[in-house]
Amino acid sequence: MYPQQVHSFLRQFFTENDCYIVGEDHHYLTVQLTVDIDKKIMNRPFYWQYVEATNSEPNPAQVTFITNQTASAGSLYGEAIHFGSPRMNQLFQATRELGAYVQMYEKVDTARGQVILTPWLGVNYKVSYCCDRTKEMLYSFGINLLTGIIKEDFYETLYATEFDTVPAEHVFHVQYIIKPIRGLQRLDAAIEAIIAQDDHSWATEAKKRWQRDQRVLDYFYEDVDDKPECYNIEKKALEEQYDAKIKIEIINGGLFYLY
Amino acid sequence: MKIERSSEWEEGFIKKLDHLEKWDSWTLYKMNYDIVKMKLITDFTGLQATKYLPNLKPLTHQLEAAETVIERMNGKAILADEVGLGKTIEAGLILKEYLIRGLVKRALILAPASLINQWIEELNIKFHIPAIAYKKNVPIERYDVLIMSMDTAKKSPHKERIYEQDYDMIIIDEAHKLKNHKTQIYEFVQSLKKKFCLLLTATPIQNDVFELFYLISLLKPGHLGNYDTFQSAFSASKHDLEHNDYLKELVNQVMVRNRREDTGIEWTNRRVQIVPIKFTKEEAEVYDLLGTLQNTGSFSLITLRKEMCSSKEATALTLSKMLEEDNAQSQEVEAILAKLMALEVNSKANKTLEIIEQAQDKVIIFTEYRATQIYLQWYLHSKGITSVLFNGKFNKNKRDYMKHLFKEKAQVLIATEAGGEGINLQFCHHVINYDLPWNPMKLEQRIGRVHRLGQEHDVHIYNLAIANTIEENILALLHTKIDVFEKVVGDLDAILSNFKESV
Repeated sequence: MYPQQVHSFLRQFFTENDCYIVGEDHHYLTVQLTVDIDKKIMNRPFYWQYVEATNSEPNPAQVTFITNQTASAGSLYGEAIHFGSPRMNQLFQATRELGAYVQMYEKVDTARGQVILTPWLGVNYKVSYCCDRTKEMLYSFGINLLTGIIKEDFYETLYATEFDTVPAEHVFHVQYIIKPIRGLQRLDAAIEAIIAQDDHSWATEAKKRWQRDQRVLDYFYEDVDDKPECYNIEKKALEEQYDAKIKIEIINGGLFYLY
Repeated sequence: MKIERSSEWEEGFIKKLDHLEKWDSWTLYKMNYDIVKMKLITDFTGLQATKYLPNLKPLTHQLEAAETVIERMNGKAILADEVGLGKTIEAGLILKEYLIRGLVKRALILAPASLINQWIEELNIKFHIPAIAYKKNVPIERYDVLIMSMDTAKKSPHKERIYEQDYDMIIIDEAHKLKNHKTQIYEFVQSLKKKFCLLLTATPIQNDVFELFYLISLLKPGHLGNYDTFQSAFSASKHDLEHNDYLKELVNQVMVRNRREDTGIEWTNRRVQIVPIKFTKEEAEVYDLLGTLQNTGSFSLITLRKEMCSSKEATALTLSKMLEEDNAQSQEVEAILAKLMALEVNSKANKTLEIIEQAQDKVIIFTEYRATQIYLQWYLHSKGITSVLFNGKFNKNKRDYMKHLFKEKAQVLIATEAGGEGINLQFCHHVINYDLPWNPMKLEQRIGRVHRLGQEHDVHIYNLAIANTIEENILALLHTKIDVFEKVVGDLDAILSNFKESV
């Protein structure tokens, strides 16, 4: 993430969360936080506890984020922020919490008269393959809640679409037949099917590494009849190190009424 | 295969469907997806950490070391770079990588007490890893990255507290302190669960190859076989190794060792010279008299001889203690003591002064004895040379202050052995090894204080040795030990100059 990307991310994040941008140049951004965002990104639970306990006037912080240190003049006082800095991680975390669920209605040209929108459930998954190494993949699925048809790369098809948060006049949407939760279960099953068909030589390789290390360990304690506790600890450590598993995580998702 | 999933998202979704909470914004939804996509780890191999650390500029050998440890050694390794090449940076990169990949959630770092603050600073500032120092009242279960001293960790009740925690990664700095398998700290580490583990030491072998055996057995028991097989295969005698190549190969599977010359960095030279010194007739007489002592009580003759090569002050201290003990030879001892106290010249100190005057620059003197340290300060002072003392017992503030004084005010820093670790003094280019330690790696540690990344001048090293004394034996032994080390681990920079030619 280049400084310029960090900068536009910040501007977008704060604008979207009703934090007023007090001042800005290409290398910095000064922002008045709201109470909610201050709580999420400023790490001062004791202050907020105090404010709430004493019923005092809340005073959310005003912060200057320096997005490009090399371009920054010496007199500017503020917090340097970049990809990987702790504050950035907090902003990412806040974004994950604040951008997890949507309900969207596709914008249509109402000149066409009455329009009927179809309900879809869209879900973005992150799948991680983990042993002593990791690899992650993103999958985006959508299921038509009338027909049950499942589409891959669903997010990409939506990306450029314009949406409203409430249906416009003359726009009607069909109630779903498949309940969203039931739809979610079908998508979960679909993702497992995809995983099942994937190449899992990574897990086989991890198992080989595991077995090799286990043999080495056994050799060390070969002639010991009563294996000491260390042996069991090492054995457990090897299991945790190499045991292959797959994690499925939902990034975000929601209901989409599409034309 | 095991599949883990969480129902967290689904629970939130139900709340939204039931109109208990309002829906999120489409922009934040898209931003969320974009972040996850940007942070996605698309390959099992390669380093992610560098993307997250734009202000850290790791050197090529450090990046390679991190990759090697993760991809070829599966996260269990000895980092044995020569002093001053940045083992901490390598360890930080590896830890960061595992944290990013989610393979490590909690890590424990054991370091000598004097280095704890340095670790905290490096991890927090350079790596953005929130590490904290262990203290008695710290609720350690709440912190993910904990740094503590080995001396604390091995004792109750601290060790029990540590055992209760579930750490995914253990990092041990100055790991040569684990060379002896009969120590408390060795047992403590042995019983720790080591899923991922890094042992950091510039000196994996100090005296003999068994130290390496014990170190590796801690990391990966069985890798070098068990004790019996190892002994029969690799040690006809402790210093004479057979099957060298095979052993080297095994060692290289678990150890990364970068040497100065293969870092691709322009290093300044080490100019090592052995400075032979002759005792005066009077000094030689006392030295020889010490050899006539039959019964030295709890003090060894070797110690006395070494001390005599250092200063009369150091020798006198031991002799006086011998007198306090019930000693059948107290008369002889007293006679020697009288002769000793009558000495007016310290040949070695004279030589030292000569070197300092020639250098006309900052000089570090390493001695093994506190008494010598104080004597030297007095002696140099009497010749108009300013000096500061340094030893390992100083706390962080005092260390920093002494370093500051040395840099700004004094010409000479006189350090005892313990002062060797954890101070970086690149602004100085002259090291006098006033006394030689038995252990070549200690010599390397000393030189490493000065000859490290950031040194811009050639470094002059003066190894002082008095002719016809035990110091000649020490020189010979140092060479044998370096030889063992080179066979197993790799070449060592010139610690000693080729003494056979010069002595």
